[in-house]
Amino acid sequence: MRVAVNCYSVPVHWNSEPSLFHGIDPRSPIPLYVQIADRVRLAIATGTLGSAAPLPSVRQLAAELRINPATVIQAYRDLEAQGFVEIRHGAGTFVRELAPGRRARERSQQAVALVRKLLAEARRSGVSLAELQRALETELGVKVT
Amino acid sequence: MTDAIHIERLQYRVGNAFEIKDLDLHVPAGSIYGFLGPNGSGKTTTIRLVLGLLRPLGGRITVLGSPMPEHHAKVLARVGYVPEQPHLDVTLTVRELIDFQAAFYPRWDRGRAEELVERFELDGARLFGRLSKGQKAKLMILLALAQCGDLLVLDEPTDGLDPVVRRDILSALVTYVSERGATIFISSHLVHELERVCDWVAVMDDGRLITESPMEKLKHGTKRLVVSGAPAEIGTPPFRMLSRESSNGAGESWVVGDWEPAMTSYIENLGGSVHDVIDLDLEDGFVELLRSFRKVRQ
Repeated sequence: MRVAVNCYSVPVHWNSEPSLFHGIDPRSPIPLYVQIADRVRLAIATGTLGSAAPLPSVRQLAAELRINPATVIQAYRDLEAQGFVEIRHGAGTFVRELAPGRRARERSQQAVALVRKLLAEARRSGVSLAELQRALETELGVKVT
Repeated sequence: MTDAIHIERLQYRVGNAFEIKDLDLHVPAGSIYGFLGPNGSGKTTTIRLVLGLLRPLGGRITVLGSPMPEHHAKVLARVGYVPEQPHLDVTLTVRELIDFQAAFYPRWDRGRAEELVERFELDGARLFGRLSKGQKAKLMILLALAQCGDLLVLDEPTDGLDPVVRRDILSALVTYVSERGATIFISSHLVHELERVCDWVAVMDDGRLITESPMEKLKHGTKRLVVSGAPAEIGTPPFRMLSRESSNGAGESWVVGDWEPAMTSYIENLGGSVHDVIDLDLEDGFVELLRSFRKVRQ
C-alpha cells in the first residue's frame, strides 16, 4: 500500500535575519533555546516587541539561524510557560499582554543578569572591584556611591 | 520514541587494518544526529553498513523499522543519501540528473526540486562535470531532499565548501526538518557546524564508539576544573575523568565529563578544592574525549 504524502513547500525568506537574534552563539555554554528565550524576553521588557506582536515562525527562525527547529520550539514553549507569549496552533506565536509592572520587573532582572556577567568576567580576568568601579565611573561620567 | 536507525553490536572488518567492533547506535526518530569522528575513524564505513552497501560480519542494523541489509529496497525508497564523493554522471546536465533521480522515487516532490534549483541558483542546462564543488554539493542535497525521504543520511555534506554554500545547505536541511519532521544523520568532522544544528551527537574513533549523548548533555557536562590539594587516588568519582594534568604552579587542570555543579563536594570531601569550573565548547570537549580514549587504549 502506498500512502499519499503531502510534501508541500512554501517559499521562505532567507536573508532577513532579524536583529533581535543577531549574535546568537552556538558555542556558548548557555543553551541555544535559553539564548533565544532571553532575547525575546529582553525585547518584550524593553518594548521592542509589544503586545500581540508575532514572533517569527519556528521554520523561519530555524532556517535563518540554521539551528534545529526543536530548539526554537523549546524556546517558545518556555516563553509560553513563563507567560510571555501565547502559542496559537496553526496561527503562530504572539506576545501576551503583560500585567503592569511585569515589564519593569523583567528589565531590572535583565540588569542584574548583565551585572553578574560583568562581575564574573572581571573575576576571571583578574580585574578588581575597585578597578571595575573606577572604569564604570569614567564611562558614565558620574561618581557611583 | 522509536529509533530511525538502531544498531546493536555491529561487527565489520576489512583485512587486518581496520575493524568496527561492537558498535551500538540509537538515532531517535525526528532528531538531527551528528556523527563525529576524525578522518578514518569509521564514519563512512558505518554509513555504508547502515545503507546496506556493505554486509556486516555480526550484529543487527534496523533502519526505519526494518532490518538491513535484508529489506534494503523497501528502506532505501525512504532514505535520502548524500555520499562523501559526488557520484553522479558528469556528462548529464543538472536538469537531466533531476529527471533521472525523480524516476526512481514515487514520492518525488517536483515543487521542492524547482524551488531548490532557484534558491541554490543552479543552472539546469549545465553539465554536472562543469559545476563548481559548491554547486555539486547543492545539487546532491537537492536530489536527496526532493525524494521526500523520512531519513536523510549525509556523509560530510559540507566538507571543503565555502561558508556561503554551507549556510545555504544547512538552511535547506533545517527547513526540510521543520516541514517534514524527518530524521537527519549527518557525519562530519566540522564540529562547530554540528554544534548549531544537532540535538544528538555520537563520537567515533578507530572503529569504536566513544560516546553517544544528547548534545546539551555532552556540551554542558564537559568542563575544565582548576583543582588543588586533591589526592592522586580519587576512588570512583560520580563524573568521568577525561584528563588530569598539573598546570603551571596553580594546582591541577582536570577535564571531566558528566559534570554537575553539586559534584564539587566529592572533590572537597577528598581534601581538594575546586577553584574554577570552566565551560568547554563542543570542539574542546570532542578533542578531550578523543585524547582520553586514545590514552586508555595505548
